[in-house]
Amino acid sequence: MSNPSAGQSSKSKAGSSQPCETTSFKRKRGVFQKDLQHMMYGFGDDPNPLPETVALVEDIVVEYVSDLAHKAQDLGSKRGKLSVEDFLYLIRKDPPKLNRCTELLSMQEELKQARKAFEVDEEKLASIE
Amino acid sequence: MVLVQRMKQSKDPFEAALEESPGDSPDELEIETQPQTGTAAGSATAAVTGELEDEFDNLESQAPMSVSAGPAAKMTMSKNKDEYDEEDDENVDVELGKFPSSSDPAKMAKMQAILNQFTEDQMNRYESFRRSALQKSNMRRLLVSITGSQKISLPMTIVVCGIAKMFVGELVETARMVMTERNESGPIRPCHIREAYRRLKLEGKVPKRSVPRLFR
Repeated sequence: MSNPSAGQSSKSKAGSSQPCETTSFKRKRGVFQKDLQHMMYGFGDDPNPLPETVALVEDIVVEYVSDLAHKAQDLGSKRGKLSVEDFLYLIRKDPPKLNRCTELLSMQEELKQARKAFEVDEEKLASIE
Repeated sequence: MVLVQRMKQSKDPFEAALEESPGDSPDELEIETQPQTGTAAGSATAAVTGELEDEFDNLESQAPMSVSAGPAAKMTMSKNKDEYDEEDDENVDVELGKFPSSSDPAKMAKMQAILNQFTEDQMNRYESFRRSALQKSNMRRLLVSITGSQKISLPMTIVVCGIAKMFVGELVETARMVMTERNESGPIRPCHIREAYRRLKLEGKVPKRSVPRLFR
């Protein structure tokens, strides 16, 4: 059972079918741990979630993101390169997620514009002075 | 450019801009802030920072803690402000409640009404909900390692963080449902999460690998 990613130190797919704490892959544990604790509290867990629960959720999330990314990459390879559209296509069946993502993207656009406007103003101020 | 770098790190350009020039940005960037609902406390800068952060977050939750059937997601994609959150912790309740829910005055009013009636506990939880996020840098690293390509754009990272956050939400909420079914209480245990995960898989919300993983 040669595991090709065993030698890699990067976070490879958790490779856990059962979301159990697997140690066969060299993946840094607790990458998202701190954030996940706050997030789980926000969604209804205890203010201090159990560490094993957080670890499990992290494993599941990493696996989810990996699967999603793999599928997106399959889609993207047909077009040439990976794009946001691929991810959006994958969650099309999930209206809340889709709406959220479109909101985020438009928000990001807005922020970009605002930043640009901000920078332009700064330049103007600088040139005036 | 510094601003751009800051953006990548802070995941909130407004916040980054704010750090750069506290004097100018608040005016510039207070696009949709409204006067405090009375929970406003703390310094103006911190408040604005929080507001701006939350403005970005604002996207998701229209309704507190409900399984997201409805409005655009309970998934606060909020670009993680956790690092900044630690610093601005004193303003826990400040910023919330002044965010236009999609710039819709009716929704806004509704939101305000709901938020005004929150207990402190609820407010804390809501605060965590809005402000928590997965770090974009970590997510980017993960995506790079999965796809093997270095060209992961910022929007992609943002989208994936958002999707992941919503997924966590689904997991936790389903786990809570499982707990109530079993009449258990207290912190969520791994067995609940596993059961929740199993249910989500049955509902088809978890992408299945088209090729079964070998050598498990």
